[in-house]
Amino acid sequence: MPDYRSRRKVRKKIVSWIVFFTVLLVTTVWLTPILVALFTSVRDYDDIILRGFFALPEEVSFDSYFAAWRQGRMRQYLPNSFLITLPALGATLLLSSLSAYAISRFRFPGRRPIYYMFIFGMMLPLQILMIPVFGLSNAMGLYDTYIGLIAIHTAFFLGFNTFVLKNYMSTVPPQIFDSAHIDGCSELRIWWQIMLPLTLPAFAALATLLFTWIFNDYLWALILVRTGDKMPVTTGLASLQGEFVTDWTVIMAGSLVGTIPTLMVFVFLQRYFIEGLTLGANK
Amino acid sequence: MKRNRKLVMAALTLLLLPAAPFLFAGGQQEVEDEKNVIVYNSFLSDPDARVVDEALVEMYQDRNPHVTVVHSIVAHETYKDALPAYLRAENPPDVLTWMAGETMRFYAERDLLLDLTDLWADESWDEDYTEGFRELSSYEGVPYFVPTNYYWWAVYYQKSVFEEHGLEPPETWDEFLEVCETLKANGVTPFTIGTRGRWTAGGWFDILNMRVNGPEFHMSLMDGNESYNDPRVLDVFENYWRPLIDNGYFIDDAAAYSWSEAIPFMTSGEAAMFLMGDFIRDAYPAEYEDDLGFFQFPIIDPNIPVGIDAPTDGFMIPANTRNPELAKDFVAFMGSLEAQEYMAQELGRLGTHSKIDRSILTESQIQGIELVESADVVAQFYGRDTHDEMQDRGYDAFVEFWENTGDAQRILDRLEEDRVRIFQ
Repeated sequence: MPDYRSRRKVRKKIVSWIVFFTVLLVTTVWLTPILVALFTSVRDYDDIILRGFFALPEEVSFDSYFAAWRQGRMRQYLPNSFLITLPALGATLLLSSLSAYAISRFRFPGRRPIYYMFIFGMMLPLQILMIPVFGLSNAMGLYDTYIGLIAIHTAFFLGFNTFVLKNYMSTVPPQIFDSAHIDGCSELRIWWQIMLPLTLPAFAALATLLFTWIFNDYLWALILVRTGDKMPVTTGLASLQGEFVTDWTVIMAGSLVGTIPTLMVFVFLQRYFIEGLTLGANK
Repeated sequence: MKRNRKLVMAALTLLLLPAAPFLFAGGQQEVEDEKNVIVYNSFLSDPDARVVDEALVEMYQDRNPHVTVVHSIVAHETYKDALPAYLRAENPPDVLTWMAGETMRFYAERDLLLDLTDLWADESWDEDYTEGFRELSSYEGVPYFVPTNYYWWAVYYQKSVFEEHGLEPPETWDEFLEVCETLKANGVTPFTIGTRGRWTAGGWFDILNMRVNGPEFHMSLMDGNESYNDPRVLDVFENYWRPLIDNGYFIDDAAAYSWSEAIPFMTSGEAAMFLMGDFIRDAYPAEYEDDLGFFQFPIIDPNIPVGIDAPTDGFMIPANTRNPELAKDFVAFMGSLEAQEYMAQELGRLGTHSKIDRSILTESQIQGIELVESADVVAQFYGRDTHDEMQDRGYDAFVEFWENTGDAQRILDRLEEDRVRIFQ
């Protein structure tokens, strides 16, 4: 009997070691590009020319971070990214919470078609919308403005947000609203003072996801913004690619600085972020 | 019922709130644009060029504090793709960088560029720029472009390696082959090259074709007026280019490297020479730069005029700019002696202004000027001199030939089919 038990212990230990090494391996594979970026950012251009990308830095220098900030215009691109992300985030959450509230709470003719429309909108791939959206924003005079970019982000995520929030709101027992209603509370106040506080976890999770998506967007910014002083980090960094010479140390330094905001959001709101991954998966 | 109406009103207001800025923003911006703003888009996206470009804009701003220059630097390749859209837009950028010669004429021919005749006259550029530069900037005799800087193509070499083997820069084809042979015998590959970006092979075609058949034939081929399977072109491939590759005068697996990845072969001493534009200095490691020299590609037939690739960049203004006067003022500054001297000093390219004080230039810049001045014909480069689509087919063909040197006839026959289709 004791013999049997110890053998089980050994087996358990082996299994845990195998798990450990597998996790280690996968983590290494995932972290390699980030490490290469980190090493590249502290090397200098001549070193890369002479010894290629995959080499350890001979001398560590943070010059490329200063270069990214000044010549690379990160000091301009980074605030731009926030100027686009935050309003878009606020607007899309506000609008979709209203639409989700209406769909989840009221029974009115056309409720289901409207709901399905949001879901279908969510399934449209971005690439299909590129040319129509460009044409529309050009015709409306929104081409090359922040507002044009904010508007498309707001509209683009409405479908997904409404879908997620509607499902979450449906789980709130309707009796709460009925009693509020009987007490004379208006619908808007119910939405603002009862529904929103109750669905706050879903909001937080959704907001973290949306922040990373909008902040990291490249394609819309590429299509809708032309002038350099309006570009967000993503397209701004891409413009550092030269005709003959591209200083990868600066681009890598800029990219790493550009990931800090999303990293912060992730670190502080990690709990919601993980919830967000399964958000809307179950009704 | 009443409450419902209130609700609807409230919902509508909320919906309209985010839309409110849309309604006002458009109008305001237009007023601002009309006045003292010029939008300047530039393709000077290389690290060194970018710094100079921004400094020049700053110099202009200091002098014209009432003007706002909205300056964007766009990645070079992206810029090339975006240019037609810039030029055709309702509200185009006011000033654009571009390349002189055929690539510019393509747009001038389509009435997309502003006529700069008065600017050339007012700035006395008609005298200050050589006839050659004026020609490069004009379409049917009318200037649409202001050239501001150029660089030369030459054979760059590691001086110490040449010294070690007792070699001198060759001037004739025989001397050139001898240098290659000596280097090879001593275990040094004569040439490094990286053809992953394809255009590097175009440099070889340009110079060999100009040396063997003359610049006149070369330019005519670029214009689509000669055929690619002409025996003269085949002669270049079979009797000049092919032996160089077959004899192992180039590093192995050239297609695996970008042009800058081919540099370490030179710094390590494995290879000795590199046919390249002067921008090689921007990428060349600083500690080896003193050892880097260059010489004119050797003369093959002394009886034909000497041609050289010296690509020229500069500025143009879209025909439907909203602010032609201010745009011209800005371009006038960029083309001025002062701006050009600054650029020549900081970037190491050559200015196009003929009054540039040579005492501020480096030794290699002076040697470069002499190189260009000694040439009878200045070409731009394969990709700049010929049609855009032809360039793509041509580069493909050169790289294919590199790997299959026995197939010159077949490759040229195919290029000829492309030429007929593209230039019909």
